[in-house]
Amino acid sequence: MITAGIDAGSRAIKVVLLGDGDGDPLAETVGPQGIDQEARATWLCEKALEEAGLSASDVARVVATGYGRKKVPFAHRTITEITCHARGIRRLVPEARTIIEIGGQDSKLIRLDGRGAVRDFAMNDRCAAGTGRFLEMVANRFDVCLSELGDLAVRSKNPAVISSMCVVFAETEIIGLLAAGAPPEDIVGGVQHAIATRVAALGGRRVAGPVVFTGGVAMIPGMDRALEGVLDQPVTVAPRPQFTGALGAALLAREPGA
Amino acid sequence: MSPRPRRIRLEDWTRRYAELRAAGLSEPSYGGPLERHVLDGDLRLPKLLYDDSPAALRLWNFLLTEEDRLQAARAEGKKLVGAMKDLGTVPVMAWSLPGVVAFYPDGAWWIPCVMELSAGLLAVADRLGVDESFCPVRAMLGAFLTEAHYPIPDLLTCNAGAVCDDFSAIAQRLAGLGHPVLWWESPHRRRPDPGEEAVELPGGFTAPRGHVALVREELARIREALGRLAGLPLTDERLAEGIRAANRVRRVLRELRDLAYTADPCPLPALEMLIAEMLALHFCSDREEALAVLGELLGEVRGRVAEGTGVLDPGAARIFWVNPVADLSAMNLLEDCGGRVCGTDYLFSHALDEIPGDLEPLEALARMAVADPMTGSAADRAERICRDAARFGAEAVLVSRIPGASHCATEGRIIGDAVDRSLGLPVLEIEVPPLIDSVRAGISGRMEALVETVRRRRRA
Repeated sequence: MITAGIDAGSRAIKVVLLGDGDGDPLAETVGPQGIDQEARATWLCEKALEEAGLSASDVARVVATGYGRKKVPFAHRTITEITCHARGIRRLVPEARTIIEIGGQDSKLIRLDGRGAVRDFAMNDRCAAGTGRFLEMVANRFDVCLSELGDLAVRSKNPAVISSMCVVFAETEIIGLLAAGAPPEDIVGGVQHAIATRVAALGGRRVAGPVVFTGGVAMIPGMDRALEGVLDQPVTVAPRPQFTGALGAALLAREPGA
Repeated sequence: MSPRPRRIRLEDWTRRYAELRAAGLSEPSYGGPLERHVLDGDLRLPKLLYDDSPAALRLWNFLLTEEDRLQAARAEGKKLVGAMKDLGTVPVMAWSLPGVVAFYPDGAWWIPCVMELSAGLLAVADRLGVDESFCPVRAMLGAFLTEAHYPIPDLLTCNAGAVCDDFSAIAQRLAGLGHPVLWWESPHRRRPDPGEEAVELPGGFTAPRGHVALVREELARIREALGRLAGLPLTDERLAEGIRAANRVRRVLRELRDLAYTADPCPLPALEMLIAEMLALHFCSDREEALAVLGELLGEVRGRVAEGTGVLDPGAARIFWVNPVADLSAMNLLEDCGGRVCGTDYLFSHALDEIPGDLEPLEALARMAVADPMTGSAADRAERICRDAARFGAEAVLVSRIPGASHCATEGRIIGDAVDRSLGLPVLEIEVPPLIDSVRAGISGRMEALVETVRRRRRA
């Protein structure tokens, strides 16, 4: 049975096509989110089908997840990102006990039981601190793209202290730090530390390892190290972390009732 | 068999009301179609889902006519007592006296939601320097200043001390505006030290004897003030009868909760249960009518349970709900997401317990007041939540934070840890502002995820 998972996130739409068994996905596609989400999701699915040499009729079930999951009319079912990320990570890193997912608009900390099922979760979606949006703001300020921002961060020797918990005020702090001559790499390092602190706080004292880091922000160099520093334990970046939610959706589409 | 009960919208209630009237529905004096309250400014009502029973109609009409009852009581020359923050003690005392009506000005915290901010109560509080860093109960300040919602009470009492920092600050501001407040103190409840004489409290906790004695002395001052107001002494006999009457309400509520929270399918929506539970505190300004309203609701629930029917599909995820919500639609939302409420702790679990009938009345009330969850530690509260969640067979716990409420800042994690440790259940924290419209998608997503987690745990 071929299934499709569509993760309609706040910044990007990701599609995974999955065949039977435990093999690699048949295809993965990603594109930016936009106001014409349905058209974009359809186009990305068509692209994935073309890549895999398949047609739409070959796909038995489609599950949509992410913020825009309810706006994917051809999905057979919608499932939240919490459940989908957990399912994706169970496939990729079965021993994981905590998932940290940082997306463009929110961050999540998901605790798993010994079977990889969700034990409970906490989310931040009311504040841009602790999300990829914070990094985007900083990237804009330094006029670099997100991957270059990560390259800057890994060169940081003495991360700046960003004390504000509000992105708007943090931007003011960054301007002040620049004016005071702080090196850009240390400012970016400080921002990553601030995000990591915010995200780690979601778990309180209950962050059990192994910890897996997923979501689009996990692709940015330095963020995993920032999380390791705050959590004081190793943090593994999931393979192809941007696709974890879509992979989980495609896996869940195989289940009866999906 | 009767038609299956449903949750319906206000416009459906208009049709349903006409049908019920045609079929001979008998209503109390405050009855009538629900939509008339929208004309009074209750703009949120068209956005809620309601139980479709005559008993629920009566409950809603009872709730939404409280202001009329208070105005009528004032016109009849009855004495009005505004009992602030004590959650179920002073109203029991006040209702023990003839010609005295107690109500709960704190209830104004729902006005911004029910009127969709149209009354401007929060803006009044803002102007008084009590901004959104305080609990939404600050709307009470606006209600006092505009006098558009309830008459100014003849006597205002306020429990202060360990109960709630926000409320004390808000009530102090009220006092500063020329509304004299009779304060009574509740010290922080603690477990007795070794060798210190202990007193058993309702709800399973203990406190030092001296602690209960202190609160009892405070309540003695309230008793005197109430007696002066009524022109009659508040004797032990009157108090004992008042306690018996309050316990009748609490017994009906206990049975209602036991049935509604354990039966599957869920026989009564969470929203109606929330309103019913609140009657334990203040009787909605008519103690005997509150008993009748709850009795009819209980009868409806008994009938549904006997028939095996309910308002939700069988097997809904069983969620224990902690803290009341400012926006009533949040209760609907959980059910829309596939959950159901199967137990609650709305910060007044002590007011659902019976007041001991075998003690001297003031002693019994003092013990009840000391059992107030807000006077104890968050760990104590978590302990009771765990006990109740287990009793009702909860599959998850949802902690609803109240924006600005000081107790919410840290208790969620303490409750979450306790539930995890002792019950191993998932815990979700959400924040519910007075109107959730702008954050509905986020809250809904979390609730859906919680329901999915419960369902997957069942299958595992």
